[in-house]
Amino acid sequence: MSKTDMKGTTVKGRAELALNDDFLRKAVKFTTERLRDGKRKASDDLGNWEEWRERGRQIRLHTIAHLDYYLNQFANQARLNGVHVHFADTAEDAVKITLAIAERKQALSVVKSKSMVTEELHLNQALESIGVDVVESDLGEYIIQLAGETPSHIIIPAIHKNRYQIADLLSKEAGETLPPDTAILAGFVRKKLREKFLEADIGMTGCNFAIAETGSMVLFENEGNARMVSTVPSTQITLMGMERIIPSWSDLEVMATLLPRSATGQKLTVYMSGITGPRRQEDGDGPDEMHIIILDNGRSLQLGDPEFQELLNCIRCGACLNACPVYRHIGGHAYGGTYSGPIGAVLTPALNKNIDQWDDIASASTLCGACYEACPVKIPLHDMLIYLRRRKVERGLGDKMESIGMRGFAAIMSNSKRYENALKVGKLAQRLVVKDGEITSKLGPLKGWNNYRVAPSLAKQSFRDQWGTMEEEIRHGLQEIDPLVSNRMEEIVRNREAGGKGHD
Amino acid sequence: MTETHQAWLAQMESESRAKQEQFMNGIAGRLGHPRLTTAPPHPFRGAPDFWQTFGWSSDERVQQFTDNFEAAGGHVHRLSDMQEVQSFICSKAIELSARYMIHQNEIELNHLQLKEKLEDVVVSQWNSESDEDWIARAAEADIGIVMADYAVSHTGSIVVVSSKDKGRSVSLLPTALIAIIPLERLKTRLGEVLIDFDEAGREQLPAGIHFISGPSRSADIENDLTIGVHGPGVVFVLIVG
Ligand code: SF4
Repeated sequence: MSKTDMKGTTVKGRAELALNDDFLRKAVKFTTERLRDGKRKASDDLGNWEEWRERGRQIRLHTIAHLDYYLNQFANQARLNGVHVHFADTAEDAVKITLAIAERKQALSVVKSKSMVTEELHLNQALESIGVDVVESDLGEYIIQLAGETPSHIIIPAIHKNRYQIADLLSKEAGETLPPDTAILAGFVRKKLREKFLEADIGMTGCNFAIAETGSMVLFENEGNARMVSTVPSTQITLMGMERIIPSWSDLEVMATLLPRSATGQKLTVYMSGITGPRRQEDGDGPDEMHIIILDNGRSLQLGDPEFQELLNCIRCGACLNACPVYRHIGGHAYGGTYSGPIGAVLTPALNKNIDQWDDIASASTLCGACYEACPVKIPLHDMLIYLRRRKVERGLGDKMESIGMRGFAAIMSNSKRYENALKVGKLAQRLVVKDGEITSKLGPLKGWNNYRVAPSLAKQSFRDQWGTMEEEIRHGLQEIDPLVSNRMEEIVRNREAGGKGHD
Repeated sequence: MTETHQAWLAQMESESRAKQEQFMNGIAGRLGHPRLTTAPPHPFRGAPDFWQTFGWSSDERVQQFTDNFEAAGGHVHRLSDMQEVQSFICSKAIELSARYMIHQNEIELNHLQLKEKLEDVVVSQWNSESDEDWIARAAEADIGIVMADYAVSHTGSIVVVSSKDKGRSVSLLPTALIAIIPLERLKTRLGEVLIDFDEAGREQLPAGIHFISGPSRSADIENDLTIGVHGPGVVFVLIVG
C-alpha cells in the first residue's frame, strides 16, 4: 500500500480524533489567557536599528551584484541535496513546468502556503484548468479564496473582511451556522484544512530566502501552514524569484532580524524553517520529491540598471505599505498588480517590462519618502517613482492620465477631502462595470485589473452606505473630472440601482 | 510508472542545466561582468560587528528567553532535572486529559518512561517501528514532546532539527507541544546557532531545521489574534539545569 493511500484513509480519520474538542478547548485556554494578561511584553532591546538596516542593504546589494555566482551556486547545491531545480524565464514557463509536474504526479489536489510569486503567475487558475483542486492554507488566503477574491495586503491578505463576512463564508463551507467568534472560526479552519493537508498530493510554497552555500530554502510564517505544506504531502514544489538569494546562514541572521520586525513587529515569526532537500531516506516524514522553480519574469531587466537594480533587494516585508499614506487610504485592491503599495507601484511596471503600464493609482504617491524610511533594506522607492515618471514623460507618454495623476498628486494630498473624492469616483467608475459583483470589462483607471483574472469589486457596502453623501461630493467636490462624465456615471448607476440587477 | 517518471526527471534536468547556463550568462551580461566562477569576497557577511560579540550571562539568557517566549503566548518553566520534567509532563497530561502523546525517539525522552507512568495515555516514539504511519500518529496526538537542539533567548526561539529519530511532524501536528531545553543549549543570539549550519556545510545539514517562537498564531480575522490555526496552540518550554 502506498504512502498516499494510507494517508487518504487512515490519517484523515485520525486527524478527526486529534481535533478532539475537549483537549483543544482546554489547551487553547492556556494560550489565550497568557496573551490576555500578557502585559509583560518583552521590551525590544534591539538597538542600532540603522546599523542592522545598513547591513541588510549591504548583504542584498552584494548578493545581487554577484547574482550569477550565488544563484548558480544555489542551484548546484540544491541539486546535490536531491532537489529538482528548474529555471523559468517567464510566468508562462513557470506555469508550464508546474503543470507538467502536477500531471506527472497525477495530482488531484495541491495545498499552498502564502506565496506572492504564485499570485504573480496566476497559478491557481492554471492548475484548476487541468482539474487540480487548489487550496490556499493560510487563514487569510483561505478566506479570500472562499470569497473568490484576491489579497489586499502582503501580510494580512483578508484585512478588508470583517468577522461577520468571514463567518458567513465559513458557514457556507461548514454547512452549518458558525458564530462570528474568531476562535471558533479559526478552529473550523484548522479542522477543515487538516483534511486538505493530509489528502493533498502536492504541497506548494514560496521562498523567503534561499541560501546559496548549502542550497537550502527558508520560510517565515506564523501559522504553521508552510511547515504543513512542506512536511506532509509527498511532493513539494517551491516557487522562488531569482533574487531571493543570500550567501550564507550567517547572513540569514540579518534578514531574520529585519524581516519580522518590519513585517509584523515580531522579533521572529513563530516559525522560521530552513529546508535542505527532500526527506532523507531514513526520515519518517518530509516530501519524497522536491522541486524548486526559479523565476525571472522581468526581474533580470532591473539588473545593471542603476536606477532600478535595488528593487531586487526587496525582502517583501510590506513595511512600505503600512508606512504609505496613500496605501493606508485606499488599500491594496486599488493597485493593479500582484504587489501593492509603494513597492508594487514600482515593481509592477518593472516586472511587466513596460513602464507604460505604470499603474494610474500609483501616481497618487506623495513622494513623501515614508516608504524609504520604513524599508529595512533602504530601497529608495520614492526616487524610483520619480525615475518612472521621468521615463514615462520622456517617452511621450505624459498623456491625459498623467496630467491628472501627476499634477494631481501634490494637490490631492494637500487636500485630503479631494483625495477621498478621487477614490470614491474610482468606486463609482467601478460600479459601472460590475456585474454580479465582479469586474469583467476594462475601463479607464481600472484597466490592467482584468488582464488575467476576474477582479473583486471594491467594498460594495461602503458604496451603498455612503451613497447619499457621495452624491453630494460628486456634485460639489470633484474638480478633476469633467462634470459631464461624472453626471453620466452617476445617472447610469442610479438607473441601474432603480431598475434592479444590471443586465448588460 | 516509476521508471518513466525517473526518465522524465532526467529529461527535465538536462533541460534545466542548459537553461541554467543561459540564465547565468544573461545575468552576468546584464551586470556587465564576465561569469563569476569563484566566490566573490563578501565583506558584509553576517550580523554587524557590534552584535557578533554580544552575549548574556546564563541568568540573563533564561530571563530574556522567558520574557520573549511568554510575550508570544508560550509557557516557560525552569526545572532542575529530568525527574521534574517527568512529573511536569505527567501532571500536565492528566490536567488536560490527554489521550495520545508522541515523542521523539531520543534517549533523554525515552528515559522518561511516559508509557509506564501514564497508563491511560497512548504514548508513541517517533519512527520506532517501520510499518507505522508516523504522520498519522503525530496528527492524532494531543501532546508532542521534543528536545530542543538549541534555543535563542534574544528572539525567544527553540530550534529543532530533523533526523531519522526526530520527526518534523512531532513539533507541528499535535495540539500541544512540550519542548525541553537543556540549559547549556540556550544561546543569546540567532547567529550563534546559524554559524553551526554554515560550519557543518551542505552535506551535514538535516532536511528540516525549525525555529519555533511560540504557539501557532494568526491575525487574519480582523487583526484579532487567533491561536493554533495549524500548528500547536499551546507550547510549554521546560528549561532544565
Ligand atoms: S520595498 Fe522595502 S519596505 Fe517595501 S516590501 Fe520591499 S523590503 Fe519591505
